[in-house]
This record gives sequence, C-alpha cells and structure tokens, in this order.
Amino acid sequence: MDIKKEYIESVCPHSRKASPVGNIRNVFSQPVTQIALVGVILALLQILALNGLVSSSFVYALGNTLIYAIVAIGFCLLLGYSGLASLGTAGFIGLGSYAAFYIVQELGAPYIAALAVTLAVSIIIGVIVGFISLRIEGMYLAIMTLALAEIIRNLLMAIKATIKIDITNVCLFGVNVNEKAVYLLVLASFVVLMILTSNLTRSPVGRAMLTMKNSTSVAQAMGISLMKYRLLAFVISTVYAAMGGLLHMMYVRNMTTATSTLLTLSTSLNILGAVIIGGAKSLWGTAFGTFIIYGLQSMFLSKIQFFVDNPAFITMVTGVLIILVVMFFPGGFAQMVVMFSAWVKKKNVERRLREYGRQS
Amino acid sequence: MAGSRKQRRLLEKVRRLTSLRSTYEDYCKLMLDGIDRKAAEKIESGTAAIRRKLAEDNFAFAETEKIAEAVTEARVRSENERFSKLLSDAAAAGINLSDSEYAKLTAIYEKKLETIKSHAAEQAAALRREGIGSEACKKSEDDARKLCDRIRENCLHDAERKKESARSKYAKRINRLTARIESTEADIRRLDALDDSMSLGDGISLHVDGLKMYFGGVKAVDDLSFDVHEGEIFGLIGPNGAGKTTVFNCITQFYKPTAGTLLFKAAEGKTIDLTRERVHDVILHGIVRTFQNVEVVPEISVLENLMVAGHRQFTSGLAASALHLPKMKMENQVVRERARKVLDFMGLTGYADFYAFGLPYGILKKIEIARTLMCSPRLIILDEPAAGLNDTETAELAQLIRRIRDEYNCTILLVEHDMGLVMDVCDNICAIAFGKLLAYGTPAEIQSNCDVQQAYLGVDEEAE
Repeated sequence: MDIKKEYIESVCPHSRKASPVGNIRNVFSQPVTQIALVGVILALLQILALNGLVSSSFVYALGNTLIYAIVAIGFCLLLGYSGLASLGTAGFIGLGSYAAFYIVQELGAPYIAALAVTLAVSIIIGVIVGFISLRIEGMYLAIMTLALAEIIRNLLMAIKATIKIDITNVCLFGVNVNEKAVYLLVLASFVVLMILTSNLTRSPVGRAMLTMKNSTSVAQAMGISLMKYRLLAFVISTVYAAMGGLLHMMYVRNMTTATSTLLTLSTSLNILGAVIIGGAKSLWGTAFGTFIIYGLQSMFLSKIQFFVDNPAFITMVTGVLIILVVMFFPGGFAQMVVMFSAWVKKKNVERRLREYGRQS
Repeated sequence: MAGSRKQRRLLEKVRRLTSLRSTYEDYCKLMLDGIDRKAAEKIESGTAAIRRKLAEDNFAFAETEKIAEAVTEARVRSENERFSKLLSDAAAAGINLSDSEYAKLTAIYEKKLETIKSHAAEQAAALRREGIGSEACKKSEDDARKLCDRIRENCLHDAERKKESARSKYAKRINRLTARIESTEADIRRLDALDDSMSLGDGISLHVDGLKMYFGGVKAVDDLSFDVHEGEIFGLIGPNGAGKTTVFNCITQFYKPTAGTLLFKAAEGKTIDLTRERVHDVILHGIVRTFQNVEVVPEISVLENLMVAGHRQFTSGLAASALHLPKMKMENQVVRERARKVLDFMGLTGYADFYAFGLPYGILKKIEIARTLMCSPRLIILDEPAAGLNDTETAELAQLIRRIRDEYNCTILLVEHDMGLVMDVCDNICAIAFGKLLAYGTPAEIQSNCDVQQAYLGVDEEAE
C-alpha cells in the first residue's frame, strides 16, 4: 500500500499550495507588522500597570526610553545611513521642548498646532545645517552642530528659566490628554516614526543614503544629488529630535533650562552611543541601544539596593557595557544578533553533517 | 536665462513622465507574465485531483518494473536534493569540508542510493495487486481527460480576460502619460528658447574642443581636442600622470573645466552642452562611468548595487518612499527586474543576493560594469577596467566590451594601461602626454607613431 502511494505521488505529484502557516509567517516577516506588534505589546503593559500587575514606574521609565528611541532612530538615519556626524541633537530636542511649551502653555493651542510648529521650525533648522554639511564634513561638522546646540541652549536659558506644561490643558482631537494617555501618545509616535523610517531605509532613499555614505563620487555618478539627500538626512534627524523634545515636554511636563542635562552635550553623546552600540544601520538595534543607555538604569538597576545606595555605579555599568560591545562587536547589538544566528545555523548544519550517515 | 530655467524645468518634467511611462510599460509586461504564471498554477492545481484519481485507477494496469522504476527515481531525486541541500547549507554556513570528510559523505550518499534501488525493486515485487483493471476504468479515463481539458480552457480563457483588462488599464495610463508628455513638449516648443546654435555632425557622439583643466598652476589638461564617433570603442592612452582621468572627470562634470567645449549627442539627436549640466544629471543623458579603484557599496547586495544605478528611474517622491505607496513598490519591482536582466547579461545571476563585501576583485569589477548598463547607456566611460585582472580575465573583458557595445548599441570610451587590450578592442585611439594631444588614429597608426613611442619609452639619446 505504501509503495502505491509513492508511485502515484511520483507519477502525479501533489501541487504545493501555500500553506496558511507560511502565509502567517510571511505577514510576520514584514517589518511593519513586527513594529506594530511590539507597539501592541508595549501598549498592553500600560493596561497591566493600571491593574497593578506591572509597576507604573517601570512603564513610566519605558515611556521615557521610547522618547529617546525616537531621537535615536532619526540619528541612526543620519549617522548609520548617510554617514554624517552631528553633536547637535540636544539643541534640537530643546527646540522641540520650547515649541511645545510656547504653543501649548502660553498660547493654549491644541497638541496638533504644537506638532505642526515643531515640524516647521525643525525642518528649517535641518535645511540650514544640511546646507552647511555640503561645505564641511566629519569632525568639523560635528563641532559646528555642537556650537549650534549650545547657541540654542543658551537662548532658551535667556528666554525662560523654567518651562512647565499643565497637562490638563493639552488636547488632541478634542480629547484631553491625561497623564496615563501621554504614554500611549509617546508609544503611537514611536510606532509611526519607526514604520516610516523602516520604510525609508528599504526604499530608493535608503539605498541612495548608503551609497552616499560609502562613496560620494559613486553616488554622484549614479545620479544621486548629494545636496538633496544630505538635506533630507539632516531634516529627518532634526525633526525626530524635535519630536522627542515635544514628547518629553508632554511626558515630563517641566524642565529647568539652566540645569537640565537634557539640553547639554551629554544627551547628544548618549544618543550617539545608543546608535553605535545598537548597530548604526539597524533600527531595532538602535532602539535596543537606547534601552541599554537610558532604560536599563531607570527600569532595572535602580530597583537593586546596591545601585540605589551608590548611584554612580549605574553609569559605570553602562560605560563598561559600551566598552565591551564596541570592543567585541563593532557592529553593535545588531551584529551580535546576526553573528549569533549564524552560529546557531552553523551548529545545526554541523549536526546534520554528523548525523547524515546514521539515519536509517 | 529665465526662459532657460523654465525650459529646464519642463524638460525635467518630460524626463520624469517618460521614465514613468517606460516603468508602466515594463510593469504591464510583468503583470501579464504574472497572470500567465498564475493561470498555469491554477490549471496544475485544478486538474491535480483528477489526474491523481486517474493514476490510482490505472495503478492496476501498471507493470511492476515500471512501478519500481518510478519509485526509485522519486526516492533518488529526493535523496539527491537532501544531499545537495546539506552541502550547500554547509557552504553557506561557512563550513569548509576537508577532502576526506567530503569523500566520507559521498560514500554514504552512494551507499544510500544503492539501498534505495534494491529496496524499491523488492517492494515492487512483493506488491500484491488489489482488483484488476477493468473497462470501466478506461472509460473514466476519457472523461477525466475531457474534464482536465475543460478546466484548462476555462483557466486560459479567464487569464486571457484578465490580461485584456490589465492591458487596457495600463494602456489607458500610458496614453494619459503620453498626452501629458506631448503637451509639455508643446509648451517647450512654445518657449522657443532652444539654442540651436550648437549641433554635432552626423555620427559624432562626443565632441571635445580646446579642453583645459588647470589646478592652480598645474596644467592637467591643456587644449585637448578630439571627437568620439557613435558606436565606436575609443581608447585614451598616455603615460602615468598624463591627465587621462582628469579628462574623464571633466566629461562627467566631476571637475568643471577651466575652458573648452564639451558637446554630447543625447537621445533623439539632441545636442547637450555638458559643461552646463550638474554632475548628478549627466547620467540622465546616458553617460555613465566606472571608477579606477572599484567602488561598489559593500553593505548592500549586488542586486541593490545595480538598483542604485537605476535611482533616477524612480519618480516617486519622499512620501511614496516613506509610506511604501503602490507607485514606489511598482517602480521598485520594475527596476529590480531590470537589474536582474543586466545581471543575467553579465553572467552574475548567482551573486544577486550576495553582499558586495568580500567578493573577489574580478566580480566587483564586473559589478561596476554591470552598473553602467542599468540606465540605457549611450556613452560608457571605463576607467582602467583591466587593472588587476589576469590574462584570461582581460581576454574575457575584451569580449565583454564588444558584446556590450553591440547589445546596448552604445559608445565606449576607455582609459587603459594594458596595451594589449587597447590595441585589441579599440577602433580609434587618442594618445596624450602632459595634458596635450600626442596622436590620434587607429591602433596601427598609434603603434607606429614616433611621438607615442618616445612618450612611453623615453627619447632614444643615442639616435640623436
């Protein structure tokens, strides 16, 4: 009977239809689906926190990390894809924060208006920096953007010492945004920007940026306008940083411009570090790098008594982690994942090679 | 000049629309192929059950040897697939099998095949038939055939209808685009700012006249003039530092020449003043170049490297890219298909999904040349394509250059140090030294030219 089946199969093989499992796997291999899925999971955490199953300080720290992750994925497009260095991230964050404060608090306008103004201002700044980047490159560009960030910081200090937002005034689509809903606002912004960025990197724009990073002359010979894509890279990273500032104001709600570390060089460097240790070309890696730099201490380490007693050690742990990652995995966590999966695959094939003869 | 700016904008619009139109044309073809493929699949799956039933009915008639043969064949095939998959997986995972290990595996494989053969024969012999074939079965066979035919006809008819509707859908879009292109072209004509003062003679592709490129006091190129004819392979030679690459950079606008005329005959016989083009717009007229030191983007796949060269074939903007709108997806698919075709032509299909990082030098050189073929080239500029290649590879390259010229109907300009290659493939050669023209002529003329010999070998002092 067995051989009859085999014979018929060999004469007239079953057509291989796409199985539903394969279809589902296809859908989940789409980056957009993955990002949306992570978004849903993170949103569920908020619900769990409301029921007391997860500590709300954990979710709060997570929201804060997501804000930095937004800034970092913009920077990833600038550094990892276009190969341009900038140390002005903090300044652009400050810009977004102040715009949020001014529009929402002083003018009492809705969130959408603040968003629009932030976008407009940051696009203008991005275009200016982009034009400058056509003239100077590398270290000099980094110093220049650092100077710009300092100018913005000092400007903010001169204008207003403390900026504060009364969250009950904020409304989005006519709905008041309360303290719990801000987390969802941050999460939604993160998911949308992550999807947009991921789409960009898998489009001609991403390819053009990578080409420009590797060789400007090839890019030009292939018809890629350096001006267009450098401006674009700077505009995107500036817009994302300003978005981060805007959301930070919504989330944290007050900031003392003179003492806030958010506006200093350390933020720019932290974002740079997050992108480097995450893997400059991988968006998920970058998001994870942000988690290592910002999330790890606020979410986990601060729960351990030893670190509560000695807060300086928290920064040391992060520092040692960065050194280890950069030393052994120059491509960051993204490279670590790639290498690990390659190792697993290799072990698997080696086992199959050993067992090849032993099968009946 | 204001008129000229408007004219430029309209010309750019025409270019984008034309590019979009050709994308639609290619996409339409892809769609039609897709419908055909789907129809074939549908026929296959629709008739599978019937054919299976038929095979089961006919099983009673089949001879034991035939059964054994078919089953053995199927088993050998599957074992073969498994074995080659194992080997290719091992290669992909970076496991290098030693000769003895490989021999051991092969021995096991052969032994398995032996077992399969004897086993199938035994099983077939031991097979006891249930029931005997009857005339009823024969009758059902005819019915089944008819049913299969009917299904096939239905599917084909369906596909034809779908194809017709797709064809008319894209034809409508293409017609709309054509109308827009024509109206824009009419606008351009109305402007009537076309500068007809310069035009190239028949058969001339590139006209270089009085080209000067000074870097401060250094005269890298000094008063150089030559013509490149359409469809020829033109060689530019000269000793090191003669300014060959500088000439290339001037033609492709990487350098703005200090003085001189650079005229190029673009598509439809239009004459372009290259000095007025921006460096990234030169490719739009079909002028593409390779680089002396291979410059392939290492962190994207070979296929994507070629797609980068098709960058200007995309008309979708930032929003379409960020949202992955259907238009961008369509263009991506069409450009990918074009890249595949070029890879096929270059014999690089196997490397399509490899990352360019770590590929052998010869392959990288080929990828660079493949990249120039992506954008309907009219003039391909090769900067020392044979550098670093061995003799066999150089001979292949000569073949390839001729093949490209014939297939893509373009002009080729090459700078090369390998005199064997230059003398072999070039129709005309221009020899320069210290930025000045030494000689111009056919390979034979150049070889016998005293100035060239002196420039390469130095002045023979004893003779003086």
